[in-house]
Amino acid sequence: MLTALVTLLSHYKRHPGQLAMLLLGLWVAGALWSGVQAINASARDSYARAEALFSTGLDRLERRDGEPLTREDYLRLRRAGLPVSPLLEGTLEASDGTELRVIGVDPFTLPGDSAFAAASSQGELTDFLTPPWQTRIAPDTLPALGVNAREAPGAEPRLATGRLPPLVLSPMLPPGTLVMDIAAAAVLLDSGERLSRLVTAPKALEHPPEGLVLTRATTLVSPGQLTESFHLNLTAMALLALVVGLFIVQAALGLALEQRLGMLRTLRALGVSGRGLVGLLALELVLLGVIGALAGIASGVWLARVLLPDVAATLGSLYGADVAVMLNLPWHYWLGGLGVTLGGLLLAGSGVLWRAARLSVLGLGQAQAWRAGFLRQLRGMALTGGAVAAGGLGLWVWLTHQPTGEGLLAGFGLIAALLLTSALLLPPLLALALAGLGRLMRRRPLAQWALADLKLQLPRLALAMMALLIALSANLGVSSMVGGFRLTFLEWLDQRLVADYYLRPAPEQFDAVQAWLAERPEVAELLPTRHAEATLLEVEGTGGARTPHLPVGLYGITPGESLIPSWPLLATQAGRDAAWQSFAAGEAFVNEQLAIDQGLAPSDRLTLSAPGGQETLVVAAVYPDYGNTRGEVLLATPKLAERFAATPSSIGIVLTVGADEVGLRDALRQRFELGSDALVDQREVKRVSVEIFERTFTITRALSVLTLAVAALALLASLLAQARERRRQLAPLWALGVPRARLVAIQLAQLGGMALAVGALAVPLGSVLALGLVAVINVAAFGWRLPLHVFPGDIALTLATAGAVALLAAALPAARLWRTPPRALLAEEAP
Amino acid sequence: MLEFNQVHKAYATPQGPLVVLEGIDLRLGGGESLALMGESGSGKSTLLHLAAGLDLPDAGEVNVAGHAISALNEPSRARLRRDTLGLVFQQFHLVPSLNVFDNLRLQARLAGRERPEWSTHLAERLGLAGLERRYPEQLSGGQQQRLAIGRALAPRPALLLADEPTGNLDEASAGDVLELLLELVREAGSALLMVTHSPQVATPLDRCLRLTHGRLEPLEEYDQEASRR
Amino acid sequence: MKPIAILTTLLTTAWLAGCADESPTSEAAGFAGLGEAAGDFAQARPGTSLRFPQDHAAHPDYRIEWWYLTANLEDERSEPLGLQWTLFRQAMTPPDERPEPTPWAADQLWMAHMAVSQGDTHRVAERFARSHSASEEGQAGTVAEPFRAWIDHWQLASHVETSGEASKTDTFAELSLSAHQDDEHGGFGYDLTLTAEGPLVLHGEAGFSQKAADGQGSFYYSQPFWRIEGEVTLDGETRMVSGRGWLDREWSSQLLDERQQGWDWFSLHLESGHKLMAFQLRGGGEDGGDYRSGTWVTPEGEPTALAPDAIGMTLLDTRRVSGREIPTRWRLEVPGAGFDLIVEAPHAERWMDTSVPYWEGEVVARDADSGEDKGIGYLEMTGY
Repeated sequence: MLTALVTLLSHYKRHPGQLAMLLLGLWVAGALWSGVQAINASARDSYARAEALFSTGLDRLERRDGEPLTREDYLRLRRAGLPVSPLLEGTLEASDGTELRVIGVDPFTLPGDSAFAAASSQGELTDFLTPPWQTRIAPDTLPALGVNAREAPGAEPRLATGRLPPLVLSPMLPPGTLVMDIAAAAVLLDSGERLSRLVTAPKALEHPPEGLVLTRATTLVSPGQLTESFHLNLTAMALLALVVGLFIVQAALGLALEQRLGMLRTLRALGVSGRGLVGLLALELVLLGVIGALAGIASGVWLARVLLPDVAATLGSLYGADVAVMLNLPWHYWLGGLGVTLGGLLLAGSGVLWRAARLSVLGLGQAQAWRAGFLRQLRGMALTGGAVAAGGLGLWVWLTHQPTGEGLLAGFGLIAALLLTSALLLPPLLALALAGLGRLMRRRPLAQWALADLKLQLPRLALAMMALLIALSANLGVSSMVGGFRLTFLEWLDQRLVADYYLRPAPEQFDAVQAWLAERPEVAELLPTRHAEATLLEVEGTGGARTPHLPVGLYGITPGESLIPSWPLLATQAGRDAAWQSFAAGEAFVNEQLAIDQGLAPSDRLTLSAPGGQETLVVAAVYPDYGNTRGEVLLATPKLAERFAATPSSIGIVLTVGADEVGLRDALRQRFELGSDALVDQREVKRVSVEIFERTFTITRALSVLTLAVAALALLASLLAQARERRRQLAPLWALGVPRARLVAIQLAQLGGMALAVGALAVPLGSVLALGLVAVINVAAFGWRLPLHVFPGDIALTLATAGAVALLAAALPAARLWRTPPRALLAEEAP
Repeated sequence: MLEFNQVHKAYATPQGPLVVLEGIDLRLGGGESLALMGESGSGKSTLLHLAAGLDLPDAGEVNVAGHAISALNEPSRARLRRDTLGLVFQQFHLVPSLNVFDNLRLQARLAGRERPEWSTHLAERLGLAGLERRYPEQLSGGQQQRLAIGRALAPRPALLLADEPTGNLDEASAGDVLELLLELVREAGSALLMVTHSPQVATPLDRCLRLTHGRLEPLEEYDQEASRR
Repeated sequence: MKPIAILTTLLTTAWLAGCADESPTSEAAGFAGLGEAAGDFAQARPGTSLRFPQDHAAHPDYRIEWWYLTANLEDERSEPLGLQWTLFRQAMTPPDERPEPTPWAADQLWMAHMAVSQGDTHRVAERFARSHSASEEGQAGTVAEPFRAWIDHWQLASHVETSGEASKTDTFAELSLSAHQDDEHGGFGYDLTLTAEGPLVLHGEAGFSQKAADGQGSFYYSQPFWRIEGEVTLDGETRMVSGRGWLDREWSSQLLDERQQGWDWFSLHLESGHKLMAFQLRGGGEDGGDYRSGTWVTPEGEPTALAPDAIGMTLLDTRRVSGREIPTRWRLEVPGAGFDLIVEAPHAERWMDTSVPYWEGEVVARDADSGEDKGIGYLEMTGY
């Protein structure tokens, strides 16, 4: 048996290119898949740690007037019997500039299951509670402090504000977080008697105590939930890459089998049983699979390491989720990666094994059978493609009957069906097109030959072309979606950020600052905002009444000359002007997320919890609110202050034309003691927003480009694998008097033409894909719909990419053809 | 039509240069036929490749239809092959993507000299009528060989170069195919250079030369036979 | 994991370590760590005279201290009802190692237990707090005069006006106790008035109570003469109650000998008006036997300290409670006072499933011979 296996494997010694292609396919498939899974696993680990921390899952209390709570407030509430616990939170800058979150807790009153409790179960709480105290820290935060894990326990790193209490490692803590006793945190943060907030177990309090605002834990949606859609996106991209990689594998395996048919027959004739042969081939698959998968996983981890900081930044800015920038991989990740790659390999290789099992020992008629076999294969592809298309259509019909924003998975399913249908129908379509063109080219023998020859190559190239189609479509779809989003987002930013400066004074200064500013000649208009939290108790609309009990944010804006003309509205009851009039009179605007989530339309009624009982509002309009994940209700600032006792938030300052900005800024700073970050330039806000946006889609873009690269590799590998045979097919033409340059040109034209055709198919497919992303996936994942933009540049780029990919892939075999000594083309009589 | 003057050819091998042809002189006039015999590896195919402009001599001169092939560049040599030569290979070298009909007419069409009547005539004479829609691999070995001959003769080339055209056939069909080939060559008015190792195949041709150790020598028995005829 | 669990962890090394129910003998530091070496804390020594009202308040230089009230009450329907309210204090650092009194800095750790029991119902709650001994007002603490001991809104406080001349009156003469806890059964708690019907009782040698044969011990006094009136809420139902209460005050830096594993502690209100306090510390007696001690108190409040050999305690029966074998029937003999009692817990389910678990419940005392009712009281058993 070993001899037989060695004989089988000897094929790859003669054809190292095929081995390389096989391993390459496994490697890239495994690398992209496991890379993304590593990112997902690492991020999920971070969420789990964040969710285990007290900040999520606990109700929180803050003062209604925005002033900080003090220890006295805490003691007063405790003595009144309220189960509140003090929390002190602040940031410290590590030596390398990283911002570290310091959380000071009181373990005696802290409710519920907290990571802290788990973390302390082995430690000594006295040490935690008494000087020099302890700093609980996750190992992946250590590098920021310049401490290595071995010397970490007990180390007391020095920061600008003083030494940290001795470190104690708690892997369950979120990254970048230092947890310590509240007394130690108060010293480090120099917070005196001040508190960041009080927390209670969820639902422990029915009403907030006098003067305080109660934010329910459910309002603070856990990052894991929010980011699920983001990870689903990543997983879908990774799956795409895996499939494309497996296309390569399948192509390589098919080729290796075909070329070894003779050898297999010989082995059978020499007494190896059919079952034994299949077993040997399977063993060969597994051997190669393990090598490829291990290489893939190793590269995947590397890839994840490279991409993770971007992902972490995105998740941080988009969802406020802290994700470790260092990989933290559970054991099941490694097994899973190996399993998926090997499983995919066996799936890709099952066809080969099946064919090997049915191999006839005599092998007569094989030569004649392949043409019919290919036709059968084309028919099969067309039928399967049709079936998948029908399934996709069914899914689409089902989706149209779902409420907007539902069916994220179904949306992905629809897109998968679309891609699969197109991929499956591609070879039959190409075959048809080639036959048709061939008939047209009757009078041009060389062109006719070139088309016929291309049709002959189709079985070999089909998989690579399918991969190319999928990759191109995905690339175009994603770039259209991102581009469209970018355009909409920038426009929206311009509309929303109408003030030149945004000022966030301390709450006790708010009125004084506002009054002072109102007197300044530089100021054209002031746009004070306020903020409150409420529970959406009841929704009454055309679809009847419902009681969602959903926490929503309430924001107050100032409907003035500056804001009204530019603030975007998606739907109104009776036009923009009427909407703004109603708004000023006390009606509400709701954001698109809330409208989609609750099925709201203008003129619907909302009943919200308010300090004075309940308030009922009429929806005057729906506005777009990109980048937000929560439902929000807008009211005119004075109305919000009056009806919901909202706390002051910021003041937008619209300057008069030609106003002395610097003078106003200096005067403001001189007159009031403002924090360093209290006054923000609108340009700065925009810059930061755009930066966040760009980061959000870095990964998506990177993955779609990588997928395209994989498809290009698939094509190259297919071409290389058949290069030798191609030369033999071209030789007679050359002998018949077609110059080699001509042959090379024809080769390139054949592939370039086919790739262009694939590219042309990818354009509508990619556009439909973009539509799916924009209209189904985004709505379900983020809660907002985007207009579909078509970018001719992207389309041209897709076509150019298709051509370039094909030409690049064909270049190497063509160059080899060009450089081959003419005599060798015929290779009939080696000297 | 074909002229070799002191042609030398050697190949580089890992064991040092291998001399294949050592000063070949050969002349073949229009419509003339010549058989070239020799042991395996004696350089017969190399000589044929040089005649076809598929390869170039190290020294000496090969003239085809008045063109010194060493003076021509690759595209010109290809054009020369297309327009002037017909090649029949031992391995047939049919184009698998084209059916019998298109294979048969391929070179004629490439050269822009297709005569449908002649093509049809060839197909009939070669016993390929009714098989036009088939693809090469769906033909028997004899049919493939006849198709290769038809393809070479379709443009009525001035010179037909044939490399063991019956080498893959059994004796009976080899005789038939050879007879047919000679008849058609005559009909087309082509000159013929045929490489073979079989005296039976060589016999019907006008002349016969033997390639030994890189040199050509006339075949004594053949001359006697020819003079008898 | 609840904060309780955090405290358990804390207490593993600090105070009331998990009492290792399965293998008590492996616990070298005694029940709940009370046997640990006292280090630089103040030591309880005989010959120190107690001073009131100062000694009603906390003694932060000593490691541990408690205010321990139990009450045997009856509701309007004459159904017996028991309750417990305990405030524990522990110093986390010796006096000379106290942290600076920055905000939130703490050297004292407080734990409080409350329980209300009737029939098979037994409700328990627990609270924790921190304080700094340099600060008067914390989440938990005590004040000597007018007396007050509290944690959050649980409070035991003097009713006696002590302004001006009246400061001569005893701040401990009348107290009010208030504690409430929400739970899934509708909540429980109490608002009670405690009136002292007798004097304070100093145990041992004028308040120094020896706890082991080698002489270490604690300061220990009681007020066993409380008459109690008020309201008790159990599972959301409030009822009027009245009855008797017993308050123990004890502080020390090392209560248990290192070899001692736990104790069995009786406080009985006898029908004759006498009070009996008796305990045995398991291990730590002569030759490693149990160490017993007690006080016999006349209706007028005259205490007689009972020597170890003056008390007989015999375990008669155990019950399975919360997975442990708990002695619920004892024979308690004080031959010197002419008593031979069978002390029995009518309801065994009085397990205090707190961070430091123990058994604490009402008992009835009957004459060992005649079976005649002799009194009621409380039994506390630790280290099981």
